[in-house]
Amino acid sequence: MKILRRLGISALALGLGAPFAGSPLRTQQRGLDLDSIARAIDEGSDHVSARQLAEWIRDRRPGLRVIDVRSPAEFHAGAIPTAENVPIDQLAKLRFAPGQMIVLYSQEGAHAGQAWVMLRSLGVTHAVFVPGGLADWREEVLSPLLSANASPAERARIAELSHYFGGSPRIGGGQEGEVAATAQIGRGSRRRGC
Amino acid sequence: MAFGWALECAGLGDPPKLAGQFYLRDFTVLKVMLSAMLTAMLGVFWGGRLGLFDPGTFYVPETYLLPQLVGGLVFGLGFVLSGLCPGTSCVALASGRIEGAATMLGLFAGVLLVGLAFPAIEPLYRSTPYGPLTLQRLTGLPYGVVVALVTLVAVSILAWVAKWEARR
Repeated sequence: MKILRRLGISALALGLGAPFAGSPLRTQQRGLDLDSIARAIDEGSDHVSARQLAEWIRDRRPGLRVIDVRSPAEFHAGAIPTAENVPIDQLAKLRFAPGQMIVLYSQEGAHAGQAWVMLRSLGVTHAVFVPGGLADWREEVLSPLLSANASPAERARIAELSHYFGGSPRIGGGQEGEVAATAQIGRGSRRRGC
Repeated sequence: MAFGWALECAGLGDPPKLAGQFYLRDFTVLKVMLSAMLTAMLGVFWGGRLGLFDPGTFYVPETYLLPQLVGGLVFGLGFVLSGLCPGTSCVALASGRIEGAATMLGLFAGVLLVGLAFPAIEPLYRSTPYGPLTLQRLTGLPYGVVVALVTLVAVSILAWVAKWEARR
């Protein structure tokens, strides 16, 4: 009976001490949770449009943290306002608070998407990336095309957002004008690289 | 060998003793199961914490809710009918009980039957999958807190059983 009691008490002590002992998992949250990644990609909760990001920045969304994963030289040549520059090779060293919403972007989105997977492998689930990158930012926020088909309210909303960031909307005609303008912009602002 | 030896020591090669658990006459099975779970859980947690191994690499069986409920019911029925489970049937046979041989025969017959019927029951077999479900994933609580809660519950039940046995 005595030994039983002793065993019970030691089990209790070990068990009740567990919450204060920290995690026994050495590989905590490292390694990829492929199911959740596939689900996020499927649902589209892995990315955010440039225009949505612009609204978040304008509305000062709490905990928003915009990260430019390009090289410092590219960053200084022009970046999204409020962004901080963390080149891809520095990303793993970063610390992320739980309440933060991390938005990654690169020149055209590919590197940001890869950075998103890197953060996922580090256990950071509150991150998204801008698929079109800075190129999308320029096209959709700085010089958005105000389509003639859009409602006046919608056009005013887009124009206002653009003006907020110092951009100027382009006035588009009907369908054909839109396509032509987009093609032109495509040649102008998109460049090779990510 | 050590597993069988421990089972025999606990008296789990004895069918009436095992069946007694289902009639709440004998709590040996509950005591053995709870103390084994407690030992394993604390061992995994503290062993990992002290750096002896990494619990994150341990295999956790996947949960398929419906088929495992059905399987558990069939298993329990066989358990109370024969008074033995697969592990203890080997122990019982080793200590010369004929019930052990009968149970093992039934065990292999059941395995064969399920294997033959598998194409027909495969949809059920793969239904309601939840992946490797653990208490901390289910409750969202930290690992250490789950360990403390399970310890508290298990030790309380063991203490209560000990008191109940002493009263009899």
